[in-house]
Amino acid sequence: MQTGFYFDQTRCTGCYTCVVACKDWHDVPAGPASWMRVITIEEGKFPDVFVAWLATSCYHCANPACVAACPAEAITKRKEDGIVIVDREKCLGNDQCDLCLQSCSYGVPQFGAEKNAKMQMCNLCLDRLKEGKKPICVAGCPMRALDAGPIDELRAQYGDKTEAVAFAYSADLKPSVIFKPKRKKSLVGGRK
Amino acid sequence: MKTAEKAYYIGTDMNCGGACLLKVHVKDGVITRLETDDGDEPQLRNCLRCRAYRQRVYAPDRLLYPLKRVGERGEGKFKRISWDEALETVASQYKRVKETYGPAATIYLTTGGDIGQVHNTRTAVRVFCLAGGCTLMWGVASNEGWMFACQATYGYPTGNDHRDLPNSKLVILWGMNPAVIIDGCGTAYHLALAREKGTKFIVVDPRYTDTAALVADRWISIRPGTDAAAMIAMAYVMIKEDLYDKEFINKYTVGFDKFKEYVLGKEDGVPKTPEWAEAITGVPARTIAELASEYATTKPAALLPSKAPGRTAFGEQYHRAAFTLAAMTGNIGKPGGSAGSEITQRGEIPFPMGPAMKTGGNPVDAGSPMRKDALPTPISKGPGLVARLHNSEIWDAILKGKAGGYYSDYKMVYVANANYLNQYPNVNKAVKALKSLEFIAVQEQFMTPTAKFADIILPTCTFLERNDAVWGAGPHVAYQPKVIEPLGESRSHLAICEGLAAKLGITGYNDKTDEEWLEQIMKPCVSDFELFKKKGVKKFYQSPTIPFKREIEDIENNPFPTPSGKIEIFSQQMADMNNPLLPPIPKYMEPWESRNDPLARKYPIQLISTHPKRRSHSQFDNIPWLREVDPQVIWLNTKDAKPRGIKDGDLVRVFNNRGEVTIQAKVTERIMPGIADLPEGAWYNPDKAGVDHGGCANVLTIDKRSPGGAFTSNSCLVQVEKAKA
Repeated sequence: MQTGFYFDQTRCTGCYTCVVACKDWHDVPAGPASWMRVITIEEGKFPDVFVAWLATSCYHCANPACVAACPAEAITKRKEDGIVIVDREKCLGNDQCDLCLQSCSYGVPQFGAEKNAKMQMCNLCLDRLKEGKKPICVAGCPMRALDAGPIDELRAQYGDKTEAVAFAYSADLKPSVIFKPKRKKSLVGGRK
Repeated sequence: MKTAEKAYYIGTDMNCGGACLLKVHVKDGVITRLETDDGDEPQLRNCLRCRAYRQRVYAPDRLLYPLKRVGERGEGKFKRISWDEALETVASQYKRVKETYGPAATIYLTTGGDIGQVHNTRTAVRVFCLAGGCTLMWGVASNEGWMFACQATYGYPTGNDHRDLPNSKLVILWGMNPAVIIDGCGTAYHLALAREKGTKFIVVDPRYTDTAALVADRWISIRPGTDAAAMIAMAYVMIKEDLYDKEFINKYTVGFDKFKEYVLGKEDGVPKTPEWAEAITGVPARTIAELASEYATTKPAALLPSKAPGRTAFGEQYHRAAFTLAAMTGNIGKPGGSAGSEITQRGEIPFPMGPAMKTGGNPVDAGSPMRKDALPTPISKGPGLVARLHNSEIWDAILKGKAGGYYSDYKMVYVANANYLNQYPNVNKAVKALKSLEFIAVQEQFMTPTAKFADIILPTCTFLERNDAVWGAGPHVAYQPKVIEPLGESRSHLAICEGLAAKLGITGYNDKTDEEWLEQIMKPCVSDFELFKKKGVKKFYQSPTIPFKREIEDIENNPFPTPSGKIEIFSQQMADMNNPLLPPIPKYMEPWESRNDPLARKYPIQLISTHPKRRSHSQFDNIPWLREVDPQVIWLNTKDAKPRGIKDGDLVRVFNNRGEVTIQAKVTERIMPGIADLPEGAWYNPDKAGVDHGGCANVLTIDKRSPGGAFTSNSCLVQVEKAKA
């Protein structure tokens, strides 16, 4: 079984509620580490502009490059649900090594501001999944733009699009994510 | 003793119109983490601000003990004292000031910093009323222009229910950005639902907002302060093309003919054509004509103008013009329509708004005549009294007193959970005014820029540390159980006021416990108080409320509470004021500090100060989880940045003759050229030369009210230059 994310890019307003809720739930201090991130895309020229956001945490790839890259075997992919987790005790720390970050196409591995910071990342809120709850970002999104669960179920519900603005699907890694992508449209011009 | 983790549902208490639902986990008396509403949809989900509330409760800069100033005012040097000494000092200073200068010499300053029903920032009004009186304020910074216009046109204020949005075929969001400012829990979500159902959205705004990015099919950028001109030109198109609803106008309104004469130019020789408006607004005439005909011919359509464009010189006119357009298109009182007011359910909920506790009457107000430019208001005469100070004129009043024509001389202020120095216009004048006072008491949670000027600081607790209930701007009320003990020696508003009342020798200030108050307040609206407490929330109404439905369905039996009983496009009450700046029909008048002001040669950029996503006004500015996701920046168009040598991320000087701010620039295509946006609420942080490095917009804004009482913070000219490295 593979667990993954769904993201409705047409609904995201870049409000960062997912980011803050995640930091609170997992007790991640303000600083460089953020398990959930929001990327802002601003394109075009006044007055015909295009703005979108990409909420991104870990895509828990079917073939995670980070697992293969880690020399300390600190990163593993769980058989039962396909969730990629890190054992921070085993991590060498980013003074020694950041091969996981180098290997990841999506900038997922996170490091705090502390010296020789150990890698941390989204675990899809394993603690909540165990209780039958959605991850904190999903349950908190004011726009109901996020979902998570078995990727087959998500596909059945939302379709199987793997493209979105500012996202490039890697056929090698096979990230476990599907999207409702935002489309560009012209904001100017009169009625037909 | 160790206890198991327990979770509580609790309505939040910000000044954002949300009152969403937090689920707070507590273990051993400490908040461990937060969730949000996980009950039936539509859930009342919090935004990022309240999701960071744990960091706010345990912030290292929480004020936990009463403090006495030991440094200069504004310097921030304080010494811990006892509650007894703090309250005794405040009480004796009040008595001294009252005996020396009279009760009006003490000003009580508060806003929506805490909107609980029992413990709110107005709790202290009763203390001062019973102690002999004080000067109170009028002029709500958010929406005074809107309230004036509602009062003049409809007789009472109201707004749309966001659940009605999917019934609209067309929604025009005029300056409205609920994805950021919230304005009713879930409003942005309901906008998305409407869009997904096929509603078309047009956004009129100087900025391409986050809400525009969510829903806009079309973005029309417009110069700040000129909105009324665009709307009046829309009326011109509707009249010329015979697109307006004559039946509605005849049946429900008065004075349309006089408005029509003005619009067609019969009054002043200037027809208010789209071309006339193009020169003023920067919106192409063709676009104005298209907007007018689309709004007039799409039924039902909701024009939803926010209060921001009304925070300009003559901002009342913009709201009056919007209401007139809503009447001309016959969209008032109908599902999917709108009265031309924004999202709010004010006056539509069986819940006693505002503080539970009666003030007992203010002796200072009692002796005061009414202002000539005040409209009668249904709730209280207070805001219309000469004795009241307008919130944008406080600093001037303190500095000038009676010699400046004000009602009194002013010697003391008592500030309750309100960052007055920061949140009202002209901060540099505020600094002078606060330095000139004989005594300042501040009741606060944090060492805000205002608290730094206090002589005595009284620490208040957060809403998680007391029992209360809250109503935001939606059809629900939420419970606020005390989930932890007040931190340090901080106290609830009511506990502080009880202490102060005792020191002032007042008996009978309060005869109820929190619980007794709550039961009394909640009884009319929740049949089962125990169930309400357990669920944490009570949602009213099965279907969306439609403002003015009652009046429109049966105007004979349910007239509007205006002198004519109808919608007053022409207001005799305004005509009677005989003030050319408050004309009886909606008109466009050139605002001060517009681009045509001679001042624009020196300060050519029009500054607006919008709501930021990480603050509720100035609340939360100090919270690290929020600071990092939304840094304070000034938005500048590429066309304005380039000739000034400003690149994205550069530090810039923003200045005019009132002050100077140094802040980072965001160079963007998302704002109209000639306009800059510095979001309000960032904490004033001056250097020795008085230059603010916090990004506080009110360092630059003008402390001059619009004739109807609107704040004019969006009528502000500045110059922007690259800061020297």
